[in-house]
Amino acid sequence: MTTATLKTRTGTPRPSTEAGSRGQWLRFAILVALAAFALIPIGGTVVLSLRSNNGTGSLTLENFTNVLSSSGAVAWLLNSLQVALATVVVSVAVAAPAGYVLSRGRGRLVGGYSLLLFVVQALPVITSVIPLFILFSHIGLADNLVGITILYVASSMSVATWMMAAYMDGIPGSLEEAAWIDGASVFKGFLHVVLRNSLPGVLSTAIFTFLMAWNDYLVASIFLRSAGAFTLPIGVQTFFQQHSTDWGSVMAVAVIMLLPPTIIFATLNKYFSVGGVAGSLAGQ
Amino acid sequence: MSTSVRRTELPLTMRTPAPEARKRRRTSSPGRAPATKAFLILPSVVILILTNAYPIAYAAFQALHNGSLITPGDFVGLDNFAKVLADPAFWRAAGFTVIFAIAGVFGSWIIGLAIALLLRTRIPAKGILKTVLLLPWVVPIVVSAMSWNWLIGTSSSPVPSLMHALGFGDAIFLSDPLGAQITVCLFEVWVNFPFMMLMMSAALTSVDESIYEAAKIDGASASQSFRYMTLPIIAKPTYIAWVLMTIFCVNDFPTVYLLTHGGPVGATNTLVVLAYKTVFQNFQTGPGVAIAFLMTLALAAVAVLLFRQIRKSTSS
Amino acid sequence: MKNVLPPTAMSRRGFLALTGAAALATSVSACAAGNVGNTSAGGGILKFWDMPWGNQDYLGAAQALTQAYKPGSGLPGASYQQVNWDGFNQTFSSAIASNTGPAVSTGGGFQAFQFAKQGAIAYADNLIDSFKKDGTYDDFLPHTLDAMKTSDGYVGVPWNLDVQVFWYRKSILDQIGATPPETWDDVLAVAKKASAKGYVGFGISGGSGNYGPMAVLSLMINNGGGLFNSNGDLDIVNDRNAEAVDFVTELVKQGVVDPGSVSMKDDDLTTAWTNKKVALGFQSPAFNNVVGDEKDVLVTNPLKSRRGDIGGLYYVNNIMMYKNTPSQAGSEAFASYYIKNMKTLWQKGVMQGLPALKSITELPEFKANAQNTAVVEKWQPICKTTAAQSGTLSAKLATIDGGQAMTDFCQTVLSAKSPSKTILTKLESDIKAAIS
Repeated sequence: MTTATLKTRTGTPRPSTEAGSRGQWLRFAILVALAAFALIPIGGTVVLSLRSNNGTGSLTLENFTNVLSSSGAVAWLLNSLQVALATVVVSVAVAAPAGYVLSRGRGRLVGGYSLLLFVVQALPVITSVIPLFILFSHIGLADNLVGITILYVASSMSVATWMMAAYMDGIPGSLEEAAWIDGASVFKGFLHVVLRNSLPGVLSTAIFTFLMAWNDYLVASIFLRSAGAFTLPIGVQTFFQQHSTDWGSVMAVAVIMLLPPTIIFATLNKYFSVGGVAGSLAGQ
Repeated sequence: MSTSVRRTELPLTMRTPAPEARKRRRTSSPGRAPATKAFLILPSVVILILTNAYPIAYAAFQALHNGSLITPGDFVGLDNFAKVLADPAFWRAAGFTVIFAIAGVFGSWIIGLAIALLLRTRIPAKGILKTVLLLPWVVPIVVSAMSWNWLIGTSSSPVPSLMHALGFGDAIFLSDPLGAQITVCLFEVWVNFPFMMLMMSAALTSVDESIYEAAKIDGASASQSFRYMTLPIIAKPTYIAWVLMTIFCVNDFPTVYLLTHGGPVGATNTLVVLAYKTVFQNFQTGPGVAIAFLMTLALAAVAVLLFRQIRKSTSS
Repeated sequence: MKNVLPPTAMSRRGFLALTGAAALATSVSACAAGNVGNTSAGGGILKFWDMPWGNQDYLGAAQALTQAYKPGSGLPGASYQQVNWDGFNQTFSSAIASNTGPAVSTGGGFQAFQFAKQGAIAYADNLIDSFKKDGTYDDFLPHTLDAMKTSDGYVGVPWNLDVQVFWYRKSILDQIGATPPETWDDVLAVAKKASAKGYVGFGISGGSGNYGPMAVLSLMINNGGGLFNSNGDLDIVNDRNAEAVDFVTELVKQGVVDPGSVSMKDDDLTTAWTNKKVALGFQSPAFNNVVGDEKDVLVTNPLKSRRGDIGGLYYVNNIMMYKNTPSQAGSEAFASYYIKNMKTLWQKGVMQGLPALKSITELPEFKANAQNTAVVEKWQPICKTTAAQSGTLSAKLATIDGGQAMTDFCQTVLSAKSPSKTILTKLESDIKAAIS
C-alpha cells in the first residue's frame, strides 16, 4: 500500500485505459462475477436473518431483537470486542519494537529470530493448544479472556512483526540518525521518529490482529468453558446447536458476528496492507 | 525458559554504554545499542517461548506414551509413530492434505492475482468491489461454514435444488467423497483468495506502469508484457505468498472441520483433522499427537528449507 | 521504496484517539476477565455440567431445577453449565485433565466408564446405598442400575433412557394409503410409496452426530446381531449383521433414502421431519414433541426383521460424579436431589428421553403424550444397549459410541457401494484398532 498511496499522492499519472470501453466492461463483468462468488453465501446469511419466521418472507428485524434480548449475544459481543481490542493493543506493543529490530538489525541473532518466527508460524495450533490449556489452568488463565488474549497475541505475532518490519523498512534510517545526532537514544529514536512515522503500518497490523482475534474458533473452543466468558464464535456455535431449526435467529447471530470486521474493512481497507510481509520475509 | 532469557539479558544491559558515547562512535543503525534492541525484542521472545516451548515438550512426551489427556500412561517408545505410519488412514489424510494445500495455494493465487490485475485497470465501482471481494477473508469461518452449509449442505439447499431443477440430477456435494473433497478445496480457495489478492496487489504496485506504455509502442501483446515484464517482477513476492499460504492451508482446522467433519468416510480428513479426531473421538492421545508431531516436523523442515531459499534468492 | 518517507495517511490525533479507546477497552477487558475468574478454584460451588437433552425449553427448565437446589448445612451450592454435544469429548477430557471440570455431570452414555478407567470418577456406591434405604432404589426401571455396575462400583446413576424408536408420520401414510409398518418389508413398501409422492421414505442422517450409526445398529440388534457376542467379545462379521446392512443398502438403492443422507446432520433431519417431508425413521422418545406435532408423528410397534426377530437399541444416560469436587458429600447430596426432583423436566414436557424412574412414567403429564406410554410399554422392554448381545458395558464402548469407526461405518453403508461383509470387516478392524 505504501507505494500505491505514494504514487497517487506524488501524482504519477495513471495510464489511460487503452483497450477501450468494451475491454473495461468485460473486466468489470469478470470482477462482478467473482464478487458474486464471494458474496452469495454471505448474502444468503444476511437475507435469512432479515426474513420473518411466519412464512410470508417479509423483511423484518424481529430475529435481531429476539436474539439480542433472549440469548447471550450481547455478552458474547462484548467479550469478543474486549478480547480483540486487547489483542490489538498488546500485539502492536509487542510487534512494533520487535519489527523495528528486525527492520534495522542485521547479524546472526536477528536473522535467527526471524527464522524462529517463521518456524513458529508453521506449527499447528492444534498440537499446542491442549498442553497450553492444561498449563494455563494451573496458573488461572484457562476459561478467561486474559488467557486467550495471550494466545491470540502469540499466534498473530509472526505476521504482525513482519508487517511492522515491512512498514519500517520504508522509513529511511537517516531520520533516526538525525535524531541520534540531536542526542536522542536508540529507544527514543524508535519511539519518536520511527514509530511516529509508522502509524499506517500500526493501523494495518492492528486490523490484521483484530481480525485474527475476532475470528478465532479453535483456541476459544478449547479455552472457554463458562457461558459468561464465551466469545462470539463459541456463543454462535452454541446458539447454532440449540436453535438448529430456527434459521432466522441463527443467521441473525451470524450477522451480528460478521458486522464489526466488515465495517472495519469497509471503512479502513485503504489503510490495510499485508503485502509488505513478502518484502519483510525476503529480508529486503 | 523466560527466566533464562532474562538472566542473559541482564549483563548486556549493564554493559550498555551511554547513548551519547555511542552516538559519537557510530551513526549507522546496524549493530547500534544491542541492549536497547534486545530490550525492544524481549517481549516478543518471551511470548514466543512461553507459548511454544512447553507445548512442544509436552507433545513430545505424549507422543512417546500411551496415556490419555488425564493419565500420563506408560512409556511406549516409538510405538505410536509405528502405529500411525502403518495406518492407511494416516496416508490417506497426508495425501489429501497435499491436495488440499496445492488447491488452496494455487487456486487462491490465480484468482487473487487475476483480481489484483483487474483492479489496476480503470473500472467502475472499484471501492465497493474491492470491499466485497475481501469479505470471504474477513467474515469469521464459523459464519461462512454455516453459510456454505446452508447453501449446499442438504438436498433441499439452494444450490442442489437449483441443479436438480436444471436437470443435473441429485448433486449433494458433501455426500460424495470426491464431491466433498472438491467442495472443501473450493471453500478453502474462497476463504483465502482475498489474502492473495492483497499480497499480489502490493507486489504489483512495484510494477511501473510506464514500462507497459513503452512495451506497447514496441508492439508487445498484453500476454507478452505480462509474461516477460510483470511475472519476473512479482516472482519473489509470489513465491513468499505461496510459502505462507502453504503453511496456512496445512494448519487449517476449522475450514474442513466445520464443513464436513472430515467425512464422508474420512475422505476430507486432513492431518490436522485426523489428529484432532484421534485424540478427541477415539481417545488415542499418543497416536493423535504423533500425527500432529509428524506433520509439524515435516512442515517445520519444509519451512526452514523454504526460508533459506527465500533468503538465498534475495541475497544473490 | 525505502528511500521515501511514507505519508501519514491518518491524522495523528485520530490515531491517538483510537489508541486511547483501545487502551481503555483493554483495561475494561482486564477487569471483566477478572470477574469471570478462574472456575477451577471452585470456591465452594459445585459445578454441574449438563447436555442439551430435550427441546428448546430444556435449558431453562434444567437451570431452574439446579438453582432450586438448597444445600444442607456445610454443603456447597451448585452452578449450572450447558455443554454442547458437538465436541463434548474434547470439552470433558480437557477440563478434567486441567482440573477445571465439573463435580457432577450428565454426558455421553459411556463417558462414566471411560473416565472411571482413567481414575477421574467418584463411584456412586454410597449414593446407591442411600437410595436403597429411602426406597428410591426400587423406583428405577429394571436393568438400568445394573447397567452402571462395574467390578469397582457404580460409575453413575441412571436418569434417562434414550431408546431408538421407529416413528412414522400419520398424515403421509394416510395420503399414500398405507398402514404403520410392522416388518422390514413393510418399511420398504411404505417408504417406496412415500418416495413416489416426493417424500423421504426413510429418514436417516449419516453426517455429524450419532443418529445415523444408532439407526443402523438398531437394525442390527433388531435382527439379533450387534457388536458383541454374549461373551462380551467383538462379533461383527456375521450373517445377522450382514442382513441388516443389506437391508439399509436396499433402502438406499430403492431411492427411499434422501440422496444427501451420507452427510446429513442430525439437525437437518429433524428439520426435514418438522417440515413434514419424512415418512419413517428411527428417533429418540418424545420425538413428536420435538418436531412439535404430537398427534401426527407416532410410534410403530417394534419391527420384525426378516428372520422374525425383534429388538432395539437403548442408552442408559447417567449422572456421574467426579473425584475433583469441593465436597464428595456435596456431590452426592446434589445428585440425590437431582434424581429425586427431576420429574419436573418431564412434567414440563421438555425431555426427549424416558425417565429412569418408574414413578415418573406414571405421572399424568408424562402419559399425556400417548407415544411416551407406547415407548415404555412396547419398546423399552425389548431394547438392548450397544453392548448387545453382551450383558456388560465397558470403557471401550465410549470409544465406539460416537467414535470415528461407527461414523465411517454408517457413511459407508449409506453410500451403498460395498458388499455388507466388506463393510462389517472394515468396522471390526477399525473398532479393534480403536479399543486396542
